Amino acid sequence: MITYDDEVVCAPRAGTLYDVLELILDRGMVIDVFVRVSLVGIEILKVDARIVVASVDTYLRFAEACNRLDLEHDVRSKTVPEMFGSPVAKTVGRAGARRTARSLTDKVRDVLTPEPEHEPAEETEETETRPRGRAERPRGRPAARRRDEDDRPRSRPRRRTETEDE
Amino acid sequence: MTAPATTSPEAAPETAPTTAPETAAAPKALYVYGIAPAGIRTPRAPGVDGAAVRLLTGSGLCAAVSAAPRRLRPRRRDLLAHQAVLDELAAQGPVLPMRFAVLSPRTDTLLAQLRSDAAHLSRQLDGVRGCVELNVKGTAVPGHFADLVRRDDRLRTLALRTRRRPDYEANVRLGEAIALGVRREARRAAREVVDRLAPLAERTVQGTTDDEQVLSASFLVRSEDEGRFREAVAERARACGDRLALSVTGPLPCYSFVDPRPASPAGR
Repeated sequence: MITYDDEVVCAPRAGTLYDVLELILDRGMVIDVFVRVSLVGIEILKVDARIVVASVDTYLRFAEACNRLDLEHDVRSKTVPEMFGSPVAKTVGRAGARRTARSLTDKVRDVLTPEPEHEPAEETEETETRPRGRAERPRGRPAARRRDEDDRPRSRPRRRTETEDE
Repeated sequence: MTAPATTSPEAAPETAPTTAPETAAAPKALYVYGIAPAGIRTPRAPGVDGAAVRLLTGSGLCAAVSAAPRRLRPRRRDLLAHQAVLDELAAQGPVLPMRFAVLSPRTDTLLAQLRSDAAHLSRQLDGVRGCVELNVKGTAVPGHFADLVRRDDRLRTLALRTRRRPDYEANVRLGEAIALGVRREARRAAREVVDRLAPLAERTVQGTTDDEQVLSASFLVRSEDEGRFREAVAERARACGDRLALSVTGPLPCYSFVDPRPASPAGR
């Protein structure tokens, strides 16, 4: 059984942007005599913030962990940390929450920092205002990235460069 | 990076307002943040594109507005400015928050709207008076995954078969089945969370979810009940922490608890 610190599982947060994005964009009042400006990129932004994480990499990672389970003899319940074989997993709950935060923030930021050919002005602004380290958004490979991130946080800058060069 | 050259004109919002020429709608267009009862203090936070926020008052109501930016984009700082202005309004009492990027073409259009819709808007303000919005999100966590495989005969069989004949396809199928199980458990936990929290709230609105974020619900909570509500979330978080990671955001302006389109006949 894994235990979690209370504050870790349920850390109240002041609304950071990614927490309230959906509310700001989708809820709230629109009055017909007013104009809602159609925003370039906003549909992408919404879809992206909710992008599905299910991917072959996630599946393979689950399968790999599962293959290390003792299923023949139910000796003693191994914990997920052991399954995933890294210090990361000790704090699966916390990591889970933070990852979401990070991945969503990244996605949001990425969209808020539109493609250079469309919105060149955004690059600098985002670099100035965004508190977190910059990370790429490797579509289809989130699981692999996460593990790397958690195990070797210092590898992020390197991967970022790769992505930007792509 | 191509930014520096193009940045300077864009990033000088403080100097811009008087000379903003080609606003999409009209030169006098106003960005509208929200509507509150008349008599509140003008928000000090800078608005979208750095513009100063002011209040337009009429019919016992007031609207927080600022000069519309030349171009409106979902930029991080503008989304945050929208939110900051509304936070300041909400701290003073009930407010009906507008969605991001709502413009009124002219001042008199806005005042006419306040007049013609006054009764309905006031009723809505009463509906959120003394309340805050708390948004609860839940993310699937595979903490119980080993138990899941052991408990579920189908998964267990699949796991054993895969082990005997390991190949790529089989591993993908196994992993997918496990991921599905993890999600199913998380969704079940999410339903329990909503069932427990809804009685503590005046109203509840569920938002969009996906495979990872299986819970996104907003609760309209009386301000004095906020502590109790948070405790209930913490209690749930402990109870289902191996399946669902919960977070609470708020107190927020009541975005989810205003009629999206008041008064006017359903348009669009």
